[in-house]
Amino acid sequence: MGSLEGILSGVQLAFSIEGILFVFLGVLAGTLIGMMPGLGPISAIAIMIPLTYNMDPTVALVLMAGVYYGAVFGGSTSSILLNAPGISGTVATSFDGYPMAQRGEAGKALAVAAISSFVGGTVSVVLLMLFAPALSSVAVVFGPPEYFALMVLGLTAISSLSDGSTVKALISAVLGIMAVTIGIDSQTGTTRFTFNNPNLLEGIDFLVVALGLFALSEVCALIINRSQTSKDRKSLGSLKLSKSELKDMSGPVGRQSILGFILGVLPGAGATIASFIGYITEKKLAKKPKEFGKGAVRGVAAPETANNAATSGAFVPLLSLGIPGSGTTAVLLGALLVLDIQPGPLLMGEQPQLFWGVIVSMYVGNLFLLILNLPLIPYIAKILAIPRPLLISLVIMFSMIGVYSISFNTFDLYLLLIFGIIGYLMRLFKFPPAPFILAFILGGMMEESFRQAMTMSNNDLSVFINKPIALGMLIAAFLSFVVPIWQGYYRKKKHAA
Amino acid sequence: MKKFWLSTLALCTGLTLAACGGGENEESNADNNAGDGSWQPEQSIEFVAPSGAGGGWDTTARMAAEGFEEQNIMDEGIGVVNKEGGGGAVGWAYIAGKAENPHHLFVASPPLLLIPLNGQSEYGYEDFTPIANMISDYGAFAVREDAPWDDLNELFDDMKDNPDNITVIGESSPGSMDHIQFIKIAKEAGVDPQSVKYVSAQDGSTMTNLLNGNADVYSTGVTETVEQVRAGEIKVLGVTAEERLEGEVVEDFPTAVEQGIDATFINWRGFFGPPGMTDAQIAYYEEKFQELNDSAHWEDTREKYAWNELYMDSEEYAEFLKEEEKTMQELLDDVNMQEE
Repeated sequence: MGSLEGILSGVQLAFSIEGILFVFLGVLAGTLIGMMPGLGPISAIAIMIPLTYNMDPTVALVLMAGVYYGAVFGGSTSSILLNAPGISGTVATSFDGYPMAQRGEAGKALAVAAISSFVGGTVSVVLLMLFAPALSSVAVVFGPPEYFALMVLGLTAISSLSDGSTVKALISAVLGIMAVTIGIDSQTGTTRFTFNNPNLLEGIDFLVVALGLFALSEVCALIINRSQTSKDRKSLGSLKLSKSELKDMSGPVGRQSILGFILGVLPGAGATIASFIGYITEKKLAKKPKEFGKGAVRGVAAPETANNAATSGAFVPLLSLGIPGSGTTAVLLGALLVLDIQPGPLLMGEQPQLFWGVIVSMYVGNLFLLILNLPLIPYIAKILAIPRPLLISLVIMFSMIGVYSISFNTFDLYLLLIFGIIGYLMRLFKFPPAPFILAFILGGMMEESFRQAMTMSNNDLSVFINKPIALGMLIAAFLSFVVPIWQGYYRKKKHAA
Repeated sequence: MKKFWLSTLALCTGLTLAACGGGENEESNADNNAGDGSWQPEQSIEFVAPSGAGGGWDTTARMAAEGFEEQNIMDEGIGVVNKEGGGGAVGWAYIAGKAENPHHLFVASPPLLLIPLNGQSEYGYEDFTPIANMISDYGAFAVREDAPWDDLNELFDDMKDNPDNITVIGESSPGSMDHIQFIKIAKEAGVDPQSVKYVSAQDGSTMTNLLNGNADVYSTGVTETVEQVRAGEIKVLGVTAEERLEGEVVEDFPTAVEQGIDATFINWRGFFGPPGMTDAQIAYYEEKFQELNDSAHWEDTREKYAWNELYMDSEEYAEFLKEEEKTMQELLDDVNMQEE
């Protein structure tokens, strides 16, 4: 079966009435789920599995994939409006999206997010069509040494995530690494910092930390400083983006569509890491990096493009190799098994209709998402007009529902509260929370891949140097650490001369 | 605007409720029922999967619940609840707290023995009431297609000489299933259990690491290997079943036993109840699970998931578990994983 024929059969399915109906239902459900803090695509897809028993497998996958990328698309809304990330992939969006909303530019921030998500999603689907077969070999290139190097590279960004004291940023990052070590150590099976509490054995979920540090700490601040923050947060601002703003975001959107896609292809990296790395690279490349963190259009565009591009990228290992690269794609894989589809290297040849049908439906889905989201912005943004006491209680309630729905365990609610208090204290003493969350994500993977690599190489450190990709990334990490210091030194010298 | 929030709230609670499956009724009156010594449930029944949605325990619980419903085997409704955490420990603690209330059952498999032995749960199998084992699964040891070994003996001989050169990878942490199933077979073949270099990759990268050469042997379940074998990427050197498995592809996998290594590892899966169930209650459930097991519907389910039939009633199950626990303890002693 030639691939053209396969693509045509996919197009046929994606544009059938059934295909269009289910992709619409999928993205609609996904957007709504994404908008609610904490409620992620994983549980939504798992709950949907029984509904798909008697469906055509392709249609079922079209529906579930729609939920997945729809959630990533919609997840930016609550990050921007409430500082409460809808899903883990949109934490980085709150860094600049929330300041924009506070400045009275909520509408603009949401529009930037919607447009970047659309472009990221669509460009990456094109890349998926063109390169899925070829990229499957790239997906397996990365082993522990490469992941370790990638995480190190990501962590060098800590300094760029703080606008004040670097020392405080580093302390915040160390706290993040400490928090992620809680639980059963994957390489020895020993429990670490669990204090014999079975609830801590699996470690702390990322969303508990994110919602605590961002949403709840914001709520604390709003309550405690209620007298002084009477800034007009109610205005939605214009939705329209000026020409210069569009031009400003075109660079990040273009680059992150590709970078995000590549990171999505790597199993284990996924939308969350792509959004952070997208944010960081754009900050490094920006002419005015100081604007980042204070409501820069690019700061919203970069992570929103990257996380949506990564979502399509995650389908490469799933569909071309049968290897799930993330928690959500693992649940999708399970769903396919129920439908008697065995995802594996032969899927593309044996079931071209399924393979291409899903991919083509993703174009349609992204278009639906844009049409759904853009006109809704004025209405959604009116959330900000809700009287503050009511809004605060809603944020608290939704954060709690979100955290509870991770594993239906009330213990997580106490943890959420603790992280909310930590977040507020950090805010009070001007410790930036972003390095904490970055170290929490990257630190855990860094430790695991480092130790896996060490075991595999019998504790020989040269394993990181003998692999060209790993070496390249480590050099890049070293440069991004050293160059600013050298630049500063050079400038000072020049100044003195 | 209010409408938006209300509808999202409705959707949200709807999802939460759907996931919880209801059945949070707490009244416990175990010794109700007619004087003839039989017992009937007096409220809806809860199947607990001590893991997140989508895994093996969850699938078993959901499919069994569906089977009971479809076949009208029980009068009461069944809800499936996920209690995730600690590799099962959180769910077990929850069931242990339901003593005397026989409406809460849970799905378990070898981790119920291994995790307590590793000191990671205060409750073990003897704290619960075994009701019925339903299915079994087996482990498979896969290597790349171009690997130098063609059967388990070649691999193990090489391992005896150069243990440092061979990395075994599995999903779960050391001391748990993927590790122990390999140790059990390797030890029987004469490999020093402590020399086995085992790496755990819990982010789903196990197969990737086998394919890209970072790991040499992949210890996993039989079904996980099928597609890559069909594609000619990997080969399975041995499975831990007693006899050849049935079905396309898997029927070509040699067992360890037929290669002269007299060891098996069964990934059994069955249902347990809370502590202190009466004989009448056990008898009630035994009968129902037996009926499910014999149904054509369940046969279809087994086929769909490539599960094997392994039915044991409560008494057999308890015997079996006692033996298994002893074996697991020995293996953990061998690799020094047990709690001090």
